[in-house]
Amino acid sequence: MVTARIGHAWVTREGRRLLADPGLTLAFLLGAGALALFVLYPTVRVLVYPGLEDYLAIPRSVRWMQAARNSLLSTVLSTTTAVLVGLAFAFATTRPDMPGRAFFRGVALLPLFAPPFMVAFSYILLFGRQGLITRHLLGLDVNIFGPQGLWMVQTVAFFPLAMLVIAGVLESVNPSLEQAARNLGADEWRVVRTVTLALARPGIAGAALVVAISVLADFGNAVVIAGGWPLLATEAWFRMEGMADLRGASLVVALLMVPTTALFVLERYWVGRRRYTTITGRGSRLQRPPTHPLLKGVTFAVCVVMSALVLLVYLGVLAGAFTAVWGRDWSFTLEHWHLASDRAATLWASLRVAAGAGLVTAVAGILLAFLTGRALPLRRVLDFLAVLPGALPGVFVGVGYVLAFNRPPLELVGTPWVLVLALAFWHLPLGYQAAVAQLQQVDRSIEEAAANLGARGLHVLRDVYLPLLTRAFVEGFSVSFVRAVTNVSIAVFLVSPGNVVATFAILNMIGNGIWGGAAALTTMLLLVTFATLGLARALAGRVVRPLPGG
Amino acid sequence: MAAHLRLAEVTKRFGPTVAVDRVSLEIEEGSFFTLLGPSGCGKTTLLRVVAGFHLPDRGEVYLRERRITHLPPHLRGTAMVFQEYALFPHMTVEENVAYGLRMRRVPAAEVRARVARVLELVGLVGQERKYPHQLSGGQQQRVALARALVVEPEVLLLDEPLSNLDAKLRVRVREELRELQRRLGQTTVYVTHDQEEALALSDRIGVMNEGRVLQVGTPEEIYLRPKNRFVAEFVGLANFLEGYWVSPGVVRTATGDLRVGQGAALGGRALLAVRPEEVRLHRGAPEGAVNLLRGRVRSVTFLGSVRRCTVELDGVSWVVDVRGEESVRPAEEVYLEVPPDRARVVEEG
Repeated sequence: MVTARIGHAWVTREGRRLLADPGLTLAFLLGAGALALFVLYPTVRVLVYPGLEDYLAIPRSVRWMQAARNSLLSTVLSTTTAVLVGLAFAFATTRPDMPGRAFFRGVALLPLFAPPFMVAFSYILLFGRQGLITRHLLGLDVNIFGPQGLWMVQTVAFFPLAMLVIAGVLESVNPSLEQAARNLGADEWRVVRTVTLALARPGIAGAALVVAISVLADFGNAVVIAGGWPLLATEAWFRMEGMADLRGASLVVALLMVPTTALFVLERYWVGRRRYTTITGRGSRLQRPPTHPLLKGVTFAVCVVMSALVLLVYLGVLAGAFTAVWGRDWSFTLEHWHLASDRAATLWASLRVAAGAGLVTAVAGILLAFLTGRALPLRRVLDFLAVLPGALPGVFVGVGYVLAFNRPPLELVGTPWVLVLALAFWHLPLGYQAAVAQLQQVDRSIEEAAANLGARGLHVLRDVYLPLLTRAFVEGFSVSFVRAVTNVSIAVFLVSPGNVVATFAILNMIGNGIWGGAAALTTMLLLVTFATLGLARALAGRVVRPLPGG
Repeated sequence: MAAHLRLAEVTKRFGPTVAVDRVSLEIEEGSFFTLLGPSGCGKTTLLRVVAGFHLPDRGEVYLRERRITHLPPHLRGTAMVFQEYALFPHMTVEENVAYGLRMRRVPAAEVRARVARVLELVGLVGQERKYPHQLSGGQQQRVALARALVVEPEVLLLDEPLSNLDAKLRVRVREELRELQRRLGQTTVYVTHDQEEALALSDRIGVMNEGRVLQVGTPEEIYLRPKNRFVAEFVGLANFLEGYWVSPGVVRTATGDLRVGQGAALGGRALLAVRPEEVRLHRGAPEGAVNLLRGRVRSVTFLGSVRRCTVELDGVSWVVDVRGEESVRPAEEVYLEVPPDRARVVEEG
């Protein structure tokens, strides 16, 4: 009797009706099972692997407390500058009277396609002790390794994230609000201060949280440029690599997960709800009023300088790939390309792994979005698990998969599958949210019409949604692919001798001082990435007819 | 008395389209002036030229004979109520209304007093701390009005402010707006496509089409003495008859000769406009009536106070309104009587 009542509250009548459909039930079990196995299980494994006494011992470890303090410091510094630069770019790209705004936007997107260590690597080539610019052009002796280098590199690497979030918010500020402010007596400067930026404040806060998560979890840049400066994200790997200390590694990543999860929850459930919904009636569209000349000048200058720094990232690596011996012999050579070609197998492995991850992310994202859009039991739990990986640092997922899949019955470590699955489920939130956004565009009545005409359960998915979801698929696949092919934070934990991916090989080459080869292989990786993306878009473009007006 | 707001030969182009075409207007102090026209006629563009959002390509704008054509919007004293209200979503009602005063650096104590006064004026006392999204459409509209009024603008500009309200509320707010404007003696320029609104609110109306002001006059003049076909058709309904003058006061049409109140050059072409409610409909030929047209009723629509009949004349169909209680049936043979003083001569176009 009691069970029946609990069951009644747990599974709604609508949910029961849906579960009576075998296809839907199968999909539900598949989705829920995948989330439990590949998201929940590794997470729990990490958290329970160290004992309570290990957790209690953390405050007594000098090195870890130092790493925690350093991580906090670099997060505060890099987040602040990245958000300020991102704000400048977002502002520049949303003012119609800003010269070069399309160019700035394009340049700002470039770092999103680069492997996470690329900015650090390039800046060592350009601004380090053997730096082309610092040493050979300016004659300076600069040590870029350490916190100051990390700060600069993370600013360049992560301001694009801030830009994307803030630009979205600024774009949505109704021009008539700015015009109304002008009309009521505000000059150009005060319009921006009291209306434009005031409205964007929640968006800026959200951007700061997103960037802070990325900075905290940043492994690639930190491992290349932080030098001997301990950080939580790199500490986990040093534990594993140097000492095979699984307990220590899981403890560190568990420690790192606390702030990233807190920031994530804050972003999703607090800032997300504080977005201002602009009241819009009908009305003819207005132009934004002109921007204050001084503000325009400052923004423009920031964008020019930062664009140069971004372009230098690519140029530095390109130069490194063709220079005989960096710092000593500046003659042109193709030798590094031979070296890189010897490692072409790693590129192939990267492609396979990333394509697999992209595919799994896109399919799982769509399936889960479809399930959580329905009155099924546990839908809020599924939704939470589908976005949870966004709160987890890459090193956490890496350690989690090692712990979860290094023994029977699921002994996957050592196979390429473990890397595919780890990358796929780490990027699941991207595929899932893309699919949710697409599904929200579909009017419920379309589905009802299909059901009314006799389509049931999974047939609705196939007949009504799948054509519309091709977009979500392309988007989910592309984002997951790019991030997987450039990933290092997970790869370092899960590559096995037969499955070395390119980023891992490059990281080793950098570590061993083979800069030319590393630069050449990085360039190849970028070419392959862009080529694959272009191909995917072209194929998708043939399949998906653009929606009218969309 | 000199005009409060004066436009001289204002022209505004967007690319190849001429949105406002050589418009000259004079608006008296304390008066309620309406720009009336269909969508895309340039009335909103003209309002924005006055507000300073658009720089006219040619022509000048004068406020009390001071040239303000190139003055930036925030220095003009032309507070505007936007069609979509444009309330700041991150500010409370109070903050929204105080915004213009803060921008003018009015002392805080005075800001409080003036905001309180204007909120009382528009009936929003008690809503000070709410945010726009917590208000109904009608309340939002009042906040927008209060925000514009509180700065005591030289000229108040209203851009279709009632178009987002439902029909009943629109009529009520309309009356309140008119009453408030009279009480404050606030010079007002109002933009609408709704002819009923324009007639009910305005001291004077400027009817616009395709960027041009076609006629300026009091509501009575616009309705009873439209100058051309467009004004007659856009403000109210009108039946048209084409013909030419055969003698002073007589126009020959395809349906017969009509006596009209006005005279004009013999032999010239004439276009007559007659309102549906001014035509008398008879079942049989009335004794001693002039201007009788024979026709056949095609359809009848009952609209409550009136019955709207479509009557087929020789080749043209007219709209004729009769009182609701009169019974007219389709296919009936009827006579239409047009009183000479109601057959107005209007210009083509």
